[in-house]
Amino acid sequence: MWNKRLIACARAYPSGVLTIVEDSGYPLSVRCVAEFDDARELILFPALPPDVVGRREAACLLFHRHNADMSGQRELLIKGELREEAGVLIMRPGDFLTGSGRQDTDRMPYAGSPLDILRYMMLGRRKARQYLAKRGKPWTPRPWGKMLRYLDEP
Amino acid sequence: MGTFRLPPEVEAVFREFRTCEFTTVNRQGQPLTWPTEPFYDAPAGRLIVTSSIAFPVKAYNARRHPQVAVFFSDPTGAPLTEPPAVLVQGDATTSELVDDPPWSYAMFKESILRQPRARSFVSNPLARRLFTFQFQRLAIFVQPRRILVWPRGDMGQIPTELEVRYVE
Repeated sequence: MWNKRLIACARAYPSGVLTIVEDSGYPLSVRCVAEFDDARELILFPALPPDVVGRREAACLLFHRHNADMSGQRELLIKGELREEAGVLIMRPGDFLTGSGRQDTDRMPYAGSPLDILRYMMLGRRKARQYLAKRGKPWTPRPWGKMLRYLDEP
Repeated sequence: MGTFRLPPEVEAVFREFRTCEFTTVNRQGQPLTWPTEPFYDAPAGRLIVTSSIAFPVKAYNARRHPQVAVFFSDPTGAPLTEPPAVLVQGDATTSELVDDPPWSYAMFKESILRQPRARSFVSNPLARRLFTFQFQRLAIFVQPRRILVWPRGDMGQIPTELEVRYVE
């Protein structure tokens, strides 16, 4: 379903990463320019590498960015189906996914407000407890002293 | 398996890119690509990505469908001039990152050096306790099978396919 807010986020990127699965079973990714047709709720790819042209299958389109020091992270993934229409490859979006789970911004939780970080912490702790419950035994504590000392070694 | 033999510009991409676009395939055959921090384990000739146990989907997908892809197409932050874009299609194995193998220290250091603000976070015992799940991780090891290279990241060109050769 078309998500106007996240499509507005996607428009801010000069390019995205389109991925399909080849017949071999391996994924194939290409970086490409995407155009957005609000009226028909479609994503168009006017120019694509030959490996992708003509494909009709499940695909995903990723937009992401970060600053040089890895701050300011944003990510948005659009799942959909590829098909060709009048010689142009198009994607009909299915789900819109973000790293934070939000449906109104592509900003990652730790690039957001304190409330975003708190929500992320609570979600992460809850999900980790579920994993550990299935595992049936606690995780071995990390050797923090040794790890921090290693950071200062030449 | 042994060490890779790679052109220097491709090896530089593996070493210097801050993120890769990592794809797994889910049960429905749907590819799922997320930006991920890569680590190049040169001595073992493999790429490693990790995920928190709180968000283990990519590791579960890789376990079920081991054919994965690691794409290097965003050079932001990498000290390289006009690097190529590189796609690695490979076979994945997964494991819980426990017992702190030697490469995990190198990966940790590389990650912290690239994110200067993370140093104060990992040095704070309270932050580590609240976000323990960030440090409980699953490792996904990718053994390359096919490597495609687009010089200068120009996707309009036909990529060069590298032969994946290992040196024992």
